[in-house]
Amino acid sequence: MQNKKLKWKSDFEKSVIIENFVNRGWIKSQEKEEEQTDWNVYWATQIINHFPNHYELTRKDCMVKNLKRFKREQDKEVLETFNFDFLPTTYIFPGEYSLFVEEFHRNPNQTWIVKPAARSQGKGIFLLRKIQQLKKISGTTVTSNMTQLNLASKENYVVSRYIDNPLLIGGKKFDLRMYVLVTNYKPLKVWIYNKGFGRFCNEQYTTDVAEIENMFVHLTNVAIQQYSDKYSQKHGGKYSIDALKLYVESAYGTDALNKMMDDIHNIMLTSLKSVQAVIQNDKHCFEMYGYDILLDSNLKPWLIEINASPSLTTTTPVDKNLKMNLINDVYNIVLPNDDFPDNDQKQQQPTKVGGFTLLYDENLDPNNRKTQKRQSVKIWK
Amino acid sequence: MQQLDNQEILMKLKSSKQFWDIKKKIKKGFNDQQKIGVNDIQKFAQSCEIEDQLTNLISHILKKSKKRETLKEDQIDFLNTSKIKWTELLFKNLDIVHQKTKNQEEDDTNTDSKLYIYDEKNLLAFLQTFKQQQSSALYQNVQFQSNKLLNINIPLKSSQQILDKYQYLLLQEELQDEKINKIRKQIENEHLDIELEKIAQTFVPNGERCLLYLKYFEFDHQETILQQNFTKLQKECLHQLFYDELLEIDGHEISEDTFYFVFQEQILTCLKCFIRDKTIKENIRIQLQNGIKKEHTEFQLPITGFFPFKNISKYVAPLCYLSTKIHIIYALFKEFFCRYFCFLHAISSENNSILSLCMQIEEIISTNSPKLFHHLKVIGCDTLKLIIHQLIYCFVGDMDPPHILTIYDQIIGHDSLEILVILCVGFLNKYKSKLLLAKNYENVQQIFQELREDKFQELVQFAYKQ
Repeated sequence: MQNKKLKWKSDFEKSVIIENFVNRGWIKSQEKEEEQTDWNVYWATQIINHFPNHYELTRKDCMVKNLKRFKREQDKEVLETFNFDFLPTTYIFPGEYSLFVEEFHRNPNQTWIVKPAARSQGKGIFLLRKIQQLKKISGTTVTSNMTQLNLASKENYVVSRYIDNPLLIGGKKFDLRMYVLVTNYKPLKVWIYNKGFGRFCNEQYTTDVAEIENMFVHLTNVAIQQYSDKYSQKHGGKYSIDALKLYVESAYGTDALNKMMDDIHNIMLTSLKSVQAVIQNDKHCFEMYGYDILLDSNLKPWLIEINASPSLTTTTPVDKNLKMNLINDVYNIVLPNDDFPDNDQKQQQPTKVGGFTLLYDENLDPNNRKTQKRQSVKIWK
Repeated sequence: MQQLDNQEILMKLKSSKQFWDIKKKIKKGFNDQQKIGVNDIQKFAQSCEIEDQLTNLISHILKKSKKRETLKEDQIDFLNTSKIKWTELLFKNLDIVHQKTKNQEEDDTNTDSKLYIYDEKNLLAFLQTFKQQQSSALYQNVQFQSNKLLNINIPLKSSQQILDKYQYLLLQEELQDEKINKIRKQIENEHLDIELEKIAQTFVPNGERCLLYLKYFEFDHQETILQQNFTKLQKECLHQLFYDELLEIDGHEISEDTFYFVFQEQILTCLKCFIRDKTIKENIRIQLQNGIKKEHTEFQLPITGFFPFKNISKYVAPLCYLSTKIHIIYALFKEFFCRYFCFLHAISSENNSILSLCMQIEEIISTNSPKLFHHLKVIGCDTLKLIIHQLIYCFVGDMDPPHILTIYDQIIGHDSLEILVILCVGFLNKYKSKLLLAKNYENVQQIFQELREDKFQELVQFAYKQ
């Protein structure tokens, strides 16, 4: 028996929907249609900027789990089409603690980076050189002969090999924020944005153990760097991707730049492919991801994490310009001509819309991913 | 004085593409002839102008091998006197700046930011004080016009000549990959500077720019020497100079620039080494200051022979894109400054001097855009005052780095700063319609404060637009 008189609203005048509402004794929201906010249930024609279980990609522990699973599946394939050498060795705590300890003892000089699986903005992150430091997350003393770790909070942690030889410019560490739009997972359709930026630390990079806890040296998050004395509001520590590409090409050569970009595209495609089977695809969903990528001193890119809700806060006029255009271009793809595109219209979309370039469309060439990648590099240029 | 022997000349010839083209032509001219005498070759060479080409090539090699002399005396006497006066003025400014820094040390609330010896406005204001000293029969082609900011009777290249010289830039097209690869190979194989200049005039791929510059300056096999020299200079930086403080203050502006902030420390290191570099005085193409301070000998000219000035950091910044090695960046900056940028700060009648460039710009604008020229005068904004910053600093800070590097390519390509005349004219033409609506200097400032993106090719197009 239903006792509550819930209020309903619907974009569809479908009898099966309306009659269900009526049969339950629910009341139609009486406000003027355009002002209807007083409802409990809304049967909508809408699009939404997230896939239901995006956390499979955007939680650090799930991303690692899915990539490892995908790699195991691909290792069984005859043809090698994916390169997985972009994820630093990572363990998920608490489950993989004992495996971590074994690896830790094999490489006593290795620095590790510990991150909460589901937090952002650099919160809770620290660098690890001694097992005892794990007291920070266990709440109790941790010794190297322990075989399991009990965490103080219920959240998981990921512990990755710290990339201690990052590419430095002007002596400072940085990472890249790049934007990727997925308009469909099955089949996969991926767009890459031509603007992004490097986020710079304010202090000169050093591997000196005395500075291991200095977050202004090691963590590139703007949320952290903005508290540095050297932080500038004019540029916010953000260095455009275009400037970075010019630097890499001029200082390292065109071939080096092309390889770096190819490797970055590989990271994006492989990571998305790794969750293709598990993400709940919905034609009403799209998602714009913020990819965080670190370049090492050999120009090799490493995947740090993928953000489902990349910050749209603007810290500088240039930043505002970038993000305004980014969102505008997202709408131009997702709602061209302010309308929901049907399948035919989606098929006929150009490969370049504003700052977005089509990186991959499984519809076009589902079996030849390598060819698609080479084509996409040319489009990118 | 000829410094190369015949063997050395032959080696230099062999490193030139043109030499091998000539050789191919001669070989083709004789086909399979078995016996060829020297007279035969000479006759053939004379008949198809190869002899002239070879003569020009050799004389160019000999000319380039001569030790570069620093221009100290100008052909016009009053400019020599003016240089001395300018130097005296700068010494006075140095004293004022020194006093200000002392005051700031004592009083934290004193935030006077004018801690530089001179800036582009000071230089332009000084140039404005020149008066027509004497007329000379040699320079009758210079029209004396009282409405111009600079009224100096100096030999000036015709502005039409400059416009004609760079007109080919209007026809520049985006190159196909095949052509770009060909240019890459050319840069890798070529050593002769006139050939490198030709490449620089047309298109320089980003990936080969550093190599082209190093080859042009003959640094390509000297990395070890460059590194050793730089390391020596870095050691000398341990001993602090007063000028270091001014350089650190100068670096603040570049540290706020979205394209250059990452290089802030490198730029400062380069500049600190620069003001300690004894070799600059003998390598610089033109003497900038003239005079030794006699009284209060606390500060003399730096060992370079000139004072560091406001925004000197801007000359280093774009070169930081070219290499990960600071000694390479330093070597390139030093060479660019000694060959070209020094003229932007020299009281001189030379073609590349700030005086000549300013007069060329005024000439073109007053002739081709008289309405704009007159309007700016009426509202109290002289043409030169609007573009002096872009001119003196080669548009660094106004254009994105790829466009600045294209400017640097053109400077090398023509061994001249005249490209800046074209770009300044284009800049004024681009904003002409807004400038014509401006009622006063504040309106004009607002126009340039809006977010704008000036591009090399765009300004070239505007330079030739009527």
